[in-house]
Amino acid sequence: MYGSASTHDLPTTALTGLENEDPILLAEFEARINRGEKIEPGDWMPALYRKQLTRMIEQHAHSEIIGSLPEGTWITRAPGFRRKMAQMAKVQDEVGHAQLLYSAAETLGKTREEMLTDLINGKSKYSNVFNYPTPTWADSNVISWLIDAGAIVNQLANAKGSYGPYCRALDRICAEEAFHLKYGHDAVVHMATGTPIQRKMMQEALNRWWPAIMTFFGPSDKMSVHTEILMRWKVKMASNDECRNQFLDMYVPKILEIGLTLPDANLRKNEETGQWEFTEPDWEDFKRVINGDGPCNAERIAVRRAAEENGAWVRRALLTPKAQYVRPLA
Amino acid sequence: MNPTLDLLYRLADDQLILGHRNSEWNGLGPILEEDIAFSSMAQDKLGHSLQLYSLLHALGEAEPDTVAFTRNAPQFHCCQLVELPIGEYDFSLTRHFLFDHAELLRFEALATSSYEPLAQVARKLRGELKYHALHANTWMKRLGTATDEAIERMQRSLDFTLPYALGIFEKTDAEAEIISSGLFVGEDELRGRWLESISKVLAQTALEVPDVLALTPVLGGRHGQHTEHLQPLLDEMAEVFRLDPTADW
Amino acid sequence: MIQSHDPRMNRLGLPDAPATAAAKGALDQFGTYEAFHQKKEGAPFVYVGPVHAPEADVAFLFAKEQYSRRFACTGLWVVPTAAITVTDYVGDQEWAYDSLPLLTNQQAAATAPPAGPRSGDDTAAEAAYAAGEEDYDIFHLKKRGKAHQHVGKVRASSPAQALQVAKAVFSDQRPVVNVWAARSADFLRSDDGDRDIWTTTPEKKYRDAISYKVQDRIERFKAETGTSQAD
Ligand SMILES: [Fe+2]
Ligand SMILES: [Fe+2]
Ligand SMILES: [Fe+2]
Repeated sequence: MYGSASTHDLPTTALTGLENEDPILLAEFEARINRGEKIEPGDWMPALYRKQLTRMIEQHAHSEIIGSLPEGTWITRAPGFRRKMAQMAKVQDEVGHAQLLYSAAETLGKTREEMLTDLINGKSKYSNVFNYPTPTWADSNVISWLIDAGAIVNQLANAKGSYGPYCRALDRICAEEAFHLKYGHDAVVHMATGTPIQRKMMQEALNRWWPAIMTFFGPSDKMSVHTEILMRWKVKMASNDECRNQFLDMYVPKILEIGLTLPDANLRKNEETGQWEFTEPDWEDFKRVINGDGPCNAERIAVRRAAEENGAWVRRALLTPKAQYVRPLA
Repeated sequence: MNPTLDLLYRLADDQLILGHRNSEWNGLGPILEEDIAFSSMAQDKLGHSLQLYSLLHALGEAEPDTVAFTRNAPQFHCCQLVELPIGEYDFSLTRHFLFDHAELLRFEALATSSYEPLAQVARKLRGELKYHALHANTWMKRLGTATDEAIERMQRSLDFTLPYALGIFEKTDAEAEIISSGLFVGEDELRGRWLESISKVLAQTALEVPDVLALTPVLGGRHGQHTEHLQPLLDEMAEVFRLDPTADW
Repeated sequence: MIQSHDPRMNRLGLPDAPATAAAKGALDQFGTYEAFHQKKEGAPFVYVGPVHAPEADVAFLFAKEQYSRRFACTGLWVVPTAAITVTDYVGDQEWAYDSLPLLTNQQAAATAPPAGPRSGDDTAAEAAYAAGEEDYDIFHLKKRGKAHQHVGKVRASSPAQALQVAKAVFSDQRPVVNVWAARSADFLRSDDGDRDIWTTTPEKKYRDAISYKVQDRIERFKAETGTSQAD
């Protein structure tokens, strides 16, 4: 899931350091991007490009592995064969996405060991929405449909970015997301159009998740930091507001058509501007949660740590003396 | 019970319960890649059980969802091996190894079952089960020859699990008819093949294999007697399903 | 203990405030293998990505589910990342072989005529193998952002020579943005007898987007509730 914009973690100072780069190499690098060619791991790249991409792909990878947990919460309780098998496959895919993205980040020089160490020590960010709980099956369905829908908006944009390994990973990921989106929609529709118990469960879950969904793409561009150079280098591909607006355009009608309501009285599309208007999310709360004080932060990290620690003996046992690490190639 | 139903229920319940158990590892595996592989095999087991319950449905039994999600422990025909909690990875792998060898050989034999719909399913699953066995063997051989820590763990798991694994081959009253009607070669025959098959792999490890047939098998599962772990598993599995029995999820 | 909504986590017993986790040591996640798959019989093997694994046999198990659980597949190769020799990357319209070091005339003569892969009872080839030459698999990247594709094998006594030989053998293939060469002996490959491990892959419809068709249900709901369009 879940591209960089969702974590709102870009540096707040102006991006600097370019003065130390070789101007000729830098010009060639930018010319290549302008021609629409991808950057590949063997290429020269500015240190800032490497650093920002590493951070972004790493956060995306963390968001996948942590993002598998709120839905994993219901993996043993999914009702009926169809849901049970699909829920397993979806959670599996998210783990697979993490694997693909960690690999892409590795081509830039940070090892998976380093990334996982940072994750389980709470040093890295991941998409903030996963710090919220899924107390019912319906909450899991809301994520499957709408968080994945948001993620797809991000990922389709990022798949047009400039870094070859990230694009390759995203192509594979987007193909699988098509299943996630349809599965999530199917599950939500079944509940929203189902029995009174189901409808109530679904409406309550949507009410719980809507504020988090509205923060998914990050703060408004008006409040956002300077990202022009990242746009020019095709690291950041779409603005937060564009993504959010596109998401609302696509999904609000689909939510309303199945009889669900949205818990924001101010939500409406301004037909003149084409922009959606809504109650500004509580960004202070968002900051508090992303900095560690959300309902599930501790659990998410603890789970990942437990998995790593419980599997340590297996990895120790399999390691052979001839093993050597070189960066994955592409 | 009619021999065909008897056989199908045992097969289907084993697959459902072990598939469910193995799915508990999803997101918690020792390394991302293994997490993915193990989940695939759990999904496969769910798929097998669905196909088998569908055969039962065609024979007049209730819908697969009803059969899987509304029965209680005494109505289940799975062996006790599959109900045990996932424990640590050494146990889950050992169970996977012991069960999937029996599974592969069982479906190999069922490929020529006199009940053609079952034979068809068995033939189709051949390749899928081959990967499961390859996975199990690779892990068993790797861990069974690795560090002292790993060998010790695998040995303990093997010693603990083998008596339960023998419960896979527990017979029911229908056994004689199952064999005579050509439905299946029978549990004794299968156990012999299984023992040969696991012994070949275990011989390539540092693990000590006890005299398996001298062990006391853990029986009862095929007759509805289960460990204290099965009913909570079923309650958890059906928690949402039972919220509203009239609902279409 | 952390109380979770996930019963699995409650069984795991997660401590409330864990101490700082130790930094992972080098190779905690093993080295990597690169995986290539074949979509259908006769098609070239295409690069799909890396897996972390301790050995080739485990890498194969991992790659099979990470890279071929979804779509039809008829073959899979894995090779240690370290076993692959990589040329420079060049532009999308260029030829990566041009970036190889130029050969002296003598070296060029030794490289020509282009040596093909091991074939039958070719005595010259046998002599070459006896003298230490080996087969190498060659992969081309045709466009940046796309995936490397297997183009064939060459015989050589070193990776550098393999690239030189490939330059001659595949001289008609352009553009080539990047080339990989790896000793054929370093690959673990599925064989034809293994193909059935993918037989049921296309039947697993529950993970296909197309099996989720819910429009009828929506239309029925709208008709019943009279919400033709809620906004
Ligand atoms: Fe994902
Ligand atoms: Fe997803
Ligand atoms: Fe299996």
